[in-house]
Amino acid sequence: MKRIEVKLSLPVVAPLLDLIKQAVDDLGGRLAAPQQLQDLDEELRAAWKHELLSEQNDECRRFLALFDREFFASGTVAFDEANAESMLRACAAIRLRLRARELADLPDQVIESGGSAVAQLGEPAQKAFMCYVFLATLQELIIQHLDSAILDG
Amino acid sequence: MTAPTARTDVTPATREETELVLAGLWRVVVLNDPVNLMSYVVLVFRKVFGFDEPTARRHMLEVHERGRSTVWTGVREKAEAYVFSLQQWHLTAVLEPDETH
Repeated sequence: MKRIEVKLSLPVVAPLLDLIKQAVDDLGGRLAAPQQLQDLDEELRAAWKHELLSEQNDECRRFLALFDREFFASGTVAFDEANAESMLRACAAIRLRLRARELADLPDQVIESGGSAVAQLGEPAQKAFMCYVFLATLQELIIQHLDSAILDG
Repeated sequence: MTAPTARTDVTPATREETELVLAGLWRVVVLNDPVNLMSYVVLVFRKVFGFDEPTARRHMLEVHERGRSTVWTGVREKAEAYVFSLQQWHLTAVLEPDETH
């Protein structure tokens, strides 16, 4: 089984985990990308939302579980063919929530340019931005190394 | 002089056309969001629709530059299934009736 281990800087990543967990908690009852299917039968829409929410919450919980005791000992998280797809989706859901909540006031250009514009933000927004970038980095690594496993899975 | 009678004869071809209109063709349209990575969207399109890399990339760029891309057209039930899959990946997708047929 193809597997990648990512060595993270504990002093950088550990302080971000509380905010990531908050975003996951906040997602609990809502979809990261809201449904836009007004003409769908109401019963079907409710069942659909329930299934999506259940999957989203499960994947976010599995993502948080990566940062366990072993992570705090070694600073390493691992992705493989079995978890790549769900980890990728969990990162997407959390990023969407961070963008909608902590980073809601920032224009897209500021988010995309990063750098100096972000350095001028207040501490909470800077931390949220770091989470946002960190999760994107994990996504890029998964896509770069495990895309064939996801496509074939 | 007799009043013309309304004809209700329906040829098979007409019936088929009527059924098609009733059943309808639907478009799966992906809307832009400023969050998901381009590489992620390309991967999702390849995974969900089986697109090759250039096709997936073309649709991703269309979403990015024009705000939307029609990624599939067909019967309602299958279109719904595709939208569900896209929502599993946290992309924003909508169904629209395809009025070009």
